[in-house]
Parts: sequence; C-alpha cells; structure tokens
Amino acid sequence: MLKVRGLRVRYGQREAVHGLDLEVRAGEIVTLVGSNGAGKTTTLKAISGVLRASAGTVEFEGRRIDGLPPHAIIERGIAHVPEGRLLFKDMTVLEHLELGAIRAPRSAPAYRDRVQRAFELFPKLEERKDQRAGTMSGGEQQMLAIARGLMSAPKLLMLDEPSLGLAPIVVDTLADAIRNLHAAGIVILLVEQRVDMALRLADRGYVVETGRIVLDDRAEALLENPRVKEAYLGV
Amino acid sequence: MTAAPRMRALGAVAALAVLPWLTGNAFLQHMMVLWAIYALLALSLNIIVGYLGELSFGHAAFFGIGAYTSALLSMQWGVPVWLGPFLGAIVAGAFGLVIGFVALRIVGPQFAILTLGFGAILHTITNYWVDLTRGPMGISNIPPFSLGPIALDFAQARNMYYVALVFLLGVAYVCHALMTSRRGRAFIAVRENPALAASIGIDVFATKLHGFVVATAIAGAGGALYGHYLRVITPELMSLQYVAALIIMVIVGGKGTIVGPLIGALVYVSLLEMLRAAGPLRLVVFAALLTACVIFLPGGLVSLWRRLRERRLAPEPAGASA
Ligand SMILES: Nc1ncnc2c1ncn2[C@@H]1O[C@H](COP(=O)(O)OP(=O)(O)OP(=O)(O)O)[C@@H](O)[C@H]1O
Ligand SMILES: [Mg+2]
Repeated sequence: MLKVRGLRVRYGQREAVHGLDLEVRAGEIVTLVGSNGAGKTTTLKAISGVLRASAGTVEFEGRRIDGLPPHAIIERGIAHVPEGRLLFKDMTVLEHLELGAIRAPRSAPAYRDRVQRAFELFPKLEERKDQRAGTMSGGEQQMLAIARGLMSAPKLLMLDEPSLGLAPIVVDTLADAIRNLHAAGIVILLVEQRVDMALRLADRGYVVETGRIVLDDRAEALLENPRVKEAYLGV
Repeated sequence: MTAAPRMRALGAVAALAVLPWLTGNAFLQHMMVLWAIYALLALSLNIIVGYLGELSFGHAAFFGIGAYTSALLSMQWGVPVWLGPFLGAIVAGAFGLVIGFVALRIVGPQFAILTLGFGAILHTITNYWVDLTRGPMGISNIPPFSLGPIALDFAQARNMYYVALVFLLGVAYVCHALMTSRRGRAFIAVRENPALAASIGIDVFATKLHGFVVATAIAGAGGALYGHYLRVITPELMSLQYVAALIIMVIVGGKGTIVGPLIGALVYVSLLEMLRAAGPLRLVVFAALLTACVIFLPGGLVSLWRRLRERRLAPEPAGASA
C-alpha cells in the first residue's frame, strides 16, 4: 500500500536520507528501527509531506503522493503522529480531537463516531476530555497525540517513537493500543528506539543506519539476527 | 458561552446602548463615536495580530481604502450611503486578498516589513492620484451616513454612535463565533506552531489568508463609517500614525481577546484628548505606554483582570505566606 523508492532528503546542503527503499503492505505492522540520527524521523516527515524529498518516489495505494502538501496526503489516508508528541499546550483534549479531524478522506465515518472510537481506545482521554494538554502526564499526552492522528480516519498510521520517555507499564498500554488499531484494520508504520518491543509488535522490520536501509526481514528473524542483537538489543 | 460570560456580555451591550443618553455633552458623544469606530478597527487588526500571530504595518491602508471607496461611490456615482460600509469592506477585502496572497508566502518579521511596503505604496498612490482622490487636499463634504427612507440625522453623534455600535457588536460577535469554531482553533494552531499545524492537516497559508482578508474587509467597513462621520478624509488616514495607533490599541488593550482591543481603543481615544495640550509629546507618551505594556504586561490591560481572578482562585503556593 505504501512504496518508497530511492528516497533522498536533505537539510540545506547535508543529505540525511540517501536513497531509501521501504514498503508497507496492507494488513501489516512494519517497524523502522535504528540509532539516533539514522534518519527515521526524516523519512516519516518526507512521507507525510512535511519535508520535501530531493529525489525518489512515494506511492500510496498505487498513486504518487510525493510533492503533495501534508493536508492532501492526510486526505489520501496517511496520518503522522510526530516524535515528541507535539501538542498545543493550552488546548483541551476535545479541541485536539477537533483539530485532528480538519482533514480526512471522504469515506471517513462521522465525526462523533471517530471521537467515540478514540475514547474507546483510550478511556483515560474521555475522563480528561476538558483538560488542557499541557497539564497532562507524558503517557496521556502520547495517547492524545495518537488519538488526534486517528481523527483523520487514516488507513496508514505512522508513529514516531511513541514510547519515548514513558514508564514500562505505560509502554505496555501503548503496545496494546497499537495491536487494537491493527486489529481494527489500520496499517501501521512504527518508528522506535525500543527495538525489542517494536520487533515483537511488528510483522516486518527495517534497520536504518545513517540514512540507508541496512537490513530488512521478518520481525522474528530480526530478533534473532546477531547484528541486531548486538547493536540494538544489548544481548 | 456558559451562563456567566453571557450575562456579562449582555450587560456590557446594555451599558453601551444607554451610554450616549448619560450625557448631553456633544463632545463626549463625539468621543463615543470615535471610540466605537476605533474599536472596530482594533478588533480587525486583532484578527491578524492576536489570532494569526502576524504583525501588519499596513492595516491603515485598508482603513483608508474603505473610507475612499465609500466616499467616492456615494459622491460620484450616487450609491446609497448605507451601502458604503459593505462596499468599502468588499474593496478593502479584495486588496487584502491580493496583498495577502503575495505577502503571506513569508511570515514573521519579513511579512511585517512587506505589509509596511504595501501600506506605503497604497498611501503614496492615494496621495498622488489627484484625479481620483484629490491628493493631499483630501475629500470634503462627504455625505453623512443615511438609511434611505429612515429620516434620522446621522451627522448627529448620538445617532451615528448606534450605527458604529451595531457594526462593532456584529464584528465582536463574529470574532467570538470564529474563535469558538473549528476554524478558530485552526487559527490558534497556526499561531502557536505552524509546522505542527501543517503536519496535522491545516493548510497554513489558506488559514492565514482567510484571516487576513476578513481583517482587511472589516477595516474597510470601519473606514467607510469614519469617512461618513467626519465627512473629511485625507491620505493621512493611511499613514504610519494610524498604523501605530491601531497597534497600540491592540497591544495595550490585550491581543487575542475581544475585550482587549475595545479597552485599547478607549485608552487611546481618551489619552489623545486628555493630552491634547501636550502636542506632539503625546506620541512619546504612547510609545512609552506601548513599551511598558510589551515589557510588563504582555497580555495587555485585560490580563490584569485575569491575573486578579486567578490570584483569587489559585491555591496558595506552599510557603508563600511565610
Ligand atoms: N531540521 C534539521 N536541520 C538539519 N539537520 C537535521 C534536521 N533534522 C534532522 N537533521 C539531521 O538529519 C539526520 C537524521 O535525523 P532524524 O531526526 O531523521 O533521525 P532519527 O533517526 O529520527 O533519530 P532519533 O532516533 O534520534 O529521533 C541527523 O543527522 C540530524 O542531525
Ligand atoms: Mg527521530
């Protein structure tokens, strides 16, 4: 459903992603792992149109989406939950959900149903629906960031390091939520530093190093891969 | 709106409605009209400064465009005067659309500089296109506002006050409705973090252009009212002096709120009168006021009220009484 070919992205003169290939098929959870500065965030930003690729193509459901503005890409059905759960600190939970629904594919369910579903997935958010985002805990903020992304009724959800800075128990809740979303038919592209968790969730994985894919395989195979074990699992 | 703010808003409207009957003093009534028109203009600039988070140094030009449009249409083409504010709004909004379309590609300080440039160009054209605008001499004997068959004399301040008040309340209501709508939330998102706003699907450029056009159109309506009230207009309307006045009203009153610009306009109009004897020194006072506000009261005068209320509601920080 998503095909990235030869993606190159540069910041000014410096190229951060040097010809990256990646594919996400319908029904999958795919993870993109790699150390700091490998280019994971940059790749997601290029897919969602926040950054312009300098070369390469991005296809979604058979149609080119590279070069489209972010709002048009959201309308095609891709939502991007950014790294660092960026929220508007003075806006409430409900206001964030409303913002997240500004763009959605034509086929999206009614707004109320989407809110309902977000609250079913994260009941904590319903309890706190009038609380301002800036006063919520890290875990709640991450849930809100994901819920906001879901409000655009995506077919593909891209999550950038959702576990960042969260306690293990919260990370478990998050993993459950990701499984639930997947069971509900949403395809997931997950960027993670917690490689073990990511590979346990995912069907397939890619390992990125300095802007290139260096390994790709089924997730179970990667978990057993000596190179992955040594570099990312600390075994 | 919950009950308490609604009651407060209704109370304020009632107070504003009876205001001109509290005095027979024609001069005070004249001040009230000026206040209402300036407040309307300040509210319009507030959409750009307070809601979109951009600074415009060109706002007075749209005010002037509205004033000239309405004056010329009524004097030369016999267009009914009551249509003037609406036509002024359309023409000013059209200029806003074109200028915004070009200038809003860039944001922040560069945008402010661009608006300064466009404002100066419009001011200069008005000054030199003597055939149309009569240049620096300005246009005089502009017909007073009229409502066609309704025989009210709008050269009288008390009557004109109600016309301006209707526009002011209408715009205040539109601002309130906007800011409690999804569109308004998008404005705030764009102001707080444009990159994030774009990433969640807000078309930042279209949102800013939308706000800018609405703001310039309202300024045009205000300009039309101003022209038909004072009955004389000159290109000075578009000068930096008016730009500065509007910015002072918004910042001193409190940007991003509805009450703020209304208070700012009140402060400006009153100080202007009280300091008349001081001559050009007034400008120093205004500059000092603006600077003091930016440094000590970034939320403007309205934030004083909010601070007081929060102090009353907030729990005492531990050890604060020691
Ligand atoms: N805005 C920017 N300007 C310049 N260089 C940048 C910018 N953002 C990222 N980079 C550089 O691009 C490279 C890839 O960064 P990116 O954020 O994509 O890494 P990442 O894989 O997401 O890392 P992390 O796991 O730490 O989030 C890094 O070398 C980084 O310094
Ligand atoms: Mg990253």
